[in-house]
Amino acid sequence: MTWVNFFGNALDPKIGGIAFFGIFLSLIVFLIGQWLFKISNGFFLFQPLFVGMVLGIFILWLMAKWFGVTLPTFYMEAYKPGGDIIFWFLNPATIAFAIPLYRRNDVVKKFWLEIILSLIVGMVISLFIIYYMSKLFGLNNQMISSMLPQAATTAIAMPISGATGGVPAVTAMACILNAVLIYALADFLIKIFRLNSDPVGAGLGLGTAGHTVGSAKAVQLGSIQGAMASIAVVVISIVVDVVVPPFASMMHLF
Amino acid sequence: MASNQQAAKTSEVEHEPAPILQQMGIFACVLFVSSLISPLFPKSFPVPTPVIGLVLMYVLLASHIIKLYQVEKMADFLISLIAFLFVPSGIQMANSLNVFTDDGAFTGVMLIVTIILATIILLVVIAYTTAGFMAISRHVFHKSTDIQ
Repeated sequence: MTWVNFFGNALDPKIGGIAFFGIFLSLIVFLIGQWLFKISNGFFLFQPLFVGMVLGIFILWLMAKWFGVTLPTFYMEAYKPGGDIIFWFLNPATIAFAIPLYRRNDVVKKFWLEIILSLIVGMVISLFIIYYMSKLFGLNNQMISSMLPQAATTAIAMPISGATGGVPAVTAMACILNAVLIYALADFLIKIFRLNSDPVGAGLGLGTAGHTVGSAKAVQLGSIQGAMASIAVVVISIVVDVVVPPFASMMHLF
Repeated sequence: MASNQQAAKTSEVEHEPAPILQQMGIFACVLFVSSLISPLFPKSFPVPTPVIGLVLMYVLLASHIIKLYQVEKMADFLISLIAFLFVPSGIQMANSLNVFTDDGAFTGVMLIVTIILATIILLVVIAYTTAGFMAISRHVFHKSTDIQ
């Protein structure tokens, strides 16, 4: 049996059925993740997003094997149309972060200079650490270039990566992993590095390292953290835009 | 007039939320306008639509053109959904798992380790740098850094 027969109506583009499977699978794996997270009393590896991602890929891989097609083909044709619809809602969700930001406008007005300086200086320090760490791990220049712009949102990081001699797909992967990791590990990292004594710093860090997902986590921690993470998402993207290309050429990466 | 503004400000907090369709309409307007602005930036300096949208929405709120009660409910809803909205991006990795194996398994593992460490580095370095700048403005410029 081919997978096209198996899905039948669900793949008929004329009735828009092609999107059903992707949306169904995304929701089911996420809900399973939520359930696992609940019954395991919040074990960090059972974060719904992480479970959803791993389980989703696993199910797609299993089905691809079953129907005898490659995983990328099966992903592109069966899952992507539905996944793209959910993915689109990240656009309004990103601009929604203007609201937690505006709610703590007092903090923004008071500390705007510190915020911008911290993000620029922190970004440059991080670039140096990431560069030398990658060198230490024996990554080639192409891979190092792909690692540098990962603090920006995917839509900025990918073209910057391409322009500095990196592989955009690797950068996109790094951006996604950042978000998943921060969502799973934020509580643990905040505890061991004692970041909560400074809510502004914790918020900026979460927004930088975890993109919009990190900001959602920060909103849960408190209004100041949420506002700071929201501003970090915007400012760090612009900082990456400006800082990474000269840094890469300074390090002779391309 | 001044008392009127005062009243408007206090009522902003307890104002009944606008109908959800109106809230969606505002989001759609902001996104659409941002999508018109985004291509105006040069290729070497990309600024994507949602980033412009965030700034635009913030400017509209800060200049009181849009009131908080007109967008608040929709925004809180979308933010609570973020983790789920990210599931397709995570599953998207199925499409390009080969980038981890192209240069051999060892490079792939190193790449993942680098990404994990880079995430932690970004979080910790930014947070500590901020704490440093806060300490400077507290001790050098004698600015109060207390926030409630």
